[in-house]
Formats: sequence, structure tokens, C-alpha cells
Amino acid sequence: MPLSRRIQRALPNALSIGLTGLVMVILFGPVMLLALFSFNDSTVISLPWEGFTTKWYSEALNDDGAMTAIGNSVMVASIVTVVSLILGTLASWGLTRIPFRGRPLVAGVHGAVLVVPWLIIGVAGLIFFSQIQMMLSLQTIILMHIVVTFPLVVAVVSAGLIRFNPSLEEAAIDMGASQLQMMRYIVLPQIAPSLAAAAIFAFAWSFNNFEISFFTGGFEQTFPVWVYGVLRHSSNLPVVNAASTVIALAQVLLVFALWYGMKLMTRRRGGTDRDAADLVTGAVR
Amino acid sequence: MGVPVAHVPTVTGERPGRLSRMLRPLAFMSLPTSVLVLLFLVPMGILVYFSFQYGDLTGQSGFTLTNFSDILSDPLYREIAWTTFQIATIAMIAQLIVGIPLAYVLAYKAGRFELPLLLALVLADELNPMVRIYAWRMLLGREGLINEALMSIGLINVPIDALLFNKFSVIVVLSTSYLTYTVIPIYASMKAVDAGLFEAARDMGAGWFTTFRRVLLPLIAPGIFIALLLVYVPLFTDFAAPTLVGGTTGYMLGNVVSDLVLENGNLNAGAAMSFLMLLAAGLFSLVAYQLSRVRQGAR
Repeated sequence: MPLSRRIQRALPNALSIGLTGLVMVILFGPVMLLALFSFNDSTVISLPWEGFTTKWYSEALNDDGAMTAIGNSVMVASIVTVVSLILGTLASWGLTRIPFRGRPLVAGVHGAVLVVPWLIIGVAGLIFFSQIQMMLSLQTIILMHIVVTFPLVVAVVSAGLIRFNPSLEEAAIDMGASQLQMMRYIVLPQIAPSLAAAAIFAFAWSFNNFEISFFTGGFEQTFPVWVYGVLRHSSNLPVVNAASTVIALAQVLLVFALWYGMKLMTRRRGGTDRDAADLVTGAVR
Repeated sequence: MGVPVAHVPTVTGERPGRLSRMLRPLAFMSLPTSVLVLLFLVPMGILVYFSFQYGDLTGQSGFTLTNFSDILSDPLYREIAWTTFQIATIAMIAQLIVGIPLAYVLAYKAGRFELPLLLALVLADELNPMVRIYAWRMLLGREGLINEALMSIGLINVPIDALLFNKFSVIVVLSTSYLTYTVIPIYASMKAVDAGLFEAARDMGAGWFTTFRRVLLPLIAPGIFIALLLVYVPLFTDFAAPTLVGGTTGYMLGNVVSDLVLENGNLNAGAAMSFLMLLAAGLFSLVAYQLSRVRQGAR
């Protein structure tokens, strides 16, 4: 084969690899450098490398602001995840399995929450709570996080419910199962991977949410609000660096753990990894 | 439509009575719907109401349109709106330029790397946005790693200041923050396209650009519109990135809202600005949604 032809053949592959590599570097490179420099023995994050240290981690551990903010975020996100899973599962069952008057309208409102920008929801929440004279605190953050997060669970779990055939449920009832038994033994196992995917998204949405926490938190800080505050008033704090690295690492581990859990669950049901991936990407569609 | 559904077989098997037909949706929907009404519809309603109200220190208040006329007649706001439009549009275009080929690679070329790459994209989105902004600031700053590296290899003598605290850095940060939501809808619509069409186009003598423009692009248009819906609208309202890496030239509409509400405590003006942005977002979403349906219908 002539060389020009061989280059022509190989070029698309080289371009594909180059593009993918570039995107991955742009997406993850900065955060990896951040992690690397959290071990640098210098108050400014820059070259040259001054030596290895873990002192920024012990400083972060003793930093009240950082620890409180992380604790707050973990608590808020955990509560929001549990409540959103409950509300979201109820609503997705109602919206996919029970025909009722006004269902398109109710479904529409669930969808509308997902497209209204969080900045505007945050401002609306701030004005709302000031009108009903409820003090801004972690509680108000939790309330507003729930209302933007559970419709996401509805989207993910509904997608799961639509994929799976209701005749199984009817068969279970015909064979004498109670509603509760049908839910427990037929529906729950089928939607378990969707629930796991929904849990990943719900936790991340709440944990990463900045706008709503910023407007409806009053003097209470979540992790993103804390980082924002520190960055706004000073620059290059190695403590933020260390705390951010820990958070990023925890998020990576969490996503991987849940991903493997989901893969196991779909495989046990005879599904493929493809199905598990569909669940994850289905949420974005 | 709200058609009564007397003859649809229900899951329960037995014919449900009228009472149970009303109770079952209530049992599942009453709680989620109340949460939506109380914490979404009511606050949004109050926001709209506030945007038509004035309130001064003497405690007087009432109906007014001045919140809107003040905003719309202020040349400074117009300038910020223009900056916001520029930043959001350039970031969106940059994401499409990278995102469409990337979606193509994922859908047709990646083979066994397809799922890991997809997972990586999802993971990129799950990373905390503040951490990401912080990382970029560390890279782009005057004493940042890019400048330090370029100086240490002798490529430049003075640090480049143009990297941080301007529109450029906001665009970089925003483009990388939303890329997942640009790529995945486009990727999803590409997965539904029969790859045999490309061969057919090639057999009929079409070059790669013609194939892309005449075959692939019309088929993935709905995916692109969804990406616009998910990304372009939030790009307009972002205010963390412009505050932290935007400096004075990267000030966006989201900053205006945040400053009006939190710094000036002017809830009415903040509500009016939010309402205008909501209207614009709603209008844009409607157009994008309609376009995506027209495109699908045309096939």
C-alpha cells in the first residue's frame, strides 16, 4: 500500500485518539495537578517543587471552616439523597403506571424544575423563606435541594420503569401476590440499578450544588460555598488544595463503587454493561 | 390529556372501584406534588410578584414596573448582557466543536473504550465545580503553572497576564464544566443512527464533509438541540466562574443578580432581573424544543 494511502487510513484513528486524549487531559489534568501540588511544601502553588509534605492535610483537618463545611455537605447530601429517592420513586410509579387526570401537567411541572437555572431557584427560595420568616440555615438548603433533586430521580427511575414490562406485575397479582409483595419481589429488583444510578446523581447534585446553597444557606456553609468564600478573599490556599483533593478522591471512589454495584446488579439480571451505561446516560437524555 | 381511563386494564387485576381509582394516584402523587407546589411553584410565583413590587425604607410598597424599566434602560446592564451573551455563545460553540467529534468517536470508533470513556465523562461532571474552578485558577494565574512552566523553559520572559481574570478564563472554565452535558445527548442521538448510512453516502461519492452535513447532522440535530437546552441556558446564569476567574471584564448577568440580592439587598430588582432571565430562558427552551421536534418530524 502506498504511504499516502496508509496515512489516509491511519489518520482518522490518530485524530480520534488525539481528540479523546486532549479532552481527558483538559477535563482531569487540572484536578490531578491540584492533587499533586497539595503535597508540595510551599505556600504558593507553583514551580519549582519544594519537597513532599502532608502538612496541608493536617492543617485542613484542623481547619474548622473546612471540616464544618464538609460535614454539612455530607449531611445535607445524605438527607437529600434519601428523601429524593423516596419522593422520586413514588412520583415515577405514579407517572408511569397509574393513569390519572392531569398527569401530563404534573409530569410537566416535574420536568420544568430541571430546566429552571439554579440561580433563579436560589433567589426565589431566598425571597420565599424571607416572606414566611423562616431563618436561612441548613434546613432551608435541604428543602430547596430536595425540590430540585427529586425530579432528577423521577427522570432516571421512570426511564427504568418504562423499559420494563408491566405484564410481570399483573402476573404477580394474578398469582395472588399482594400489592406490597409485588412491589418488593417484582418491581424493586427490576428498578434497583435505576435507583443506584439515581442515588449517584442525587448525591452529586446536592453535594456539588453551589447556587442554591449560596442563596438559601444564610450563615451556614456547605463545601462549595466554603471554597467560594475562601477563593474570593484570598488566593492559592494550600488548605483548600488538600481539602479539594480529598473531596475529589472521595467522589471518584464513590462513583466507581456505585458503578461496579450497578454492573453487578444488571449482570445478575442477565443484562450487560451496556444496560448499566444506558441507565447512567439515560438521565442526561 | 386528562381523558378518564375506565377501560385501561390496571395493574391490580381486579376492576378498581371509583374510590380506589381516585385514591391510588393520590397515594403516590400527593407527597411529591405538594413538595413541588410548596417549594417550587409558590417561590417562583412570589419571585414574579416581587418583580412587580416596590418597597422602600418607609415601609411603603405597591405595584410598579420600574424594576423592569430600570434594568432595560440601564446601558451598563445592556453591556453586561452583551458580555454574557458573548461568553455563553463562545463557550457553547467551543463545546460543540469539541463535543460533536468526541460524540462521534464515542459512538462509532471507541470500541471497547466506549463505556469507560462514557463513565469518565460522567465522572468529570460529578467532580465538584468549585474544585475545578480552583484548579484552573491555579493553572492560569500570573504565578500559575502554565506561566511558570513557559518561563522555566525560556519560551517567555514575563508572565502572560491575559490567561486569567478575563473573558478567556471564564470561557475556558465554563466550557470544561458543561462538556458532559453537551456530549452525552449528541452521543445518544448518534447511537440511534444506522452507521450503514455513512457507507451508502460514501458509495454514492460523498466526501466526509458532505456526509457529515447532509447525512449525520440532520439526524443528530435533536441531540444538539437538547445539548443547547441543557447547557446554553445555564451558561447564561452562571456566576461562580465569572466571580472567581472573570476579573472585571468577565462580569456576567448572574453576578448582577447575586450582587443585587446579596450585596444591595434589593430583592425587587433581583427578582425582576431573575424573571427577565427566566423569560429569556423559557423562550429559548421553547424554540429549541420546537426545532428539535420539527427536525424529527422532517425525517
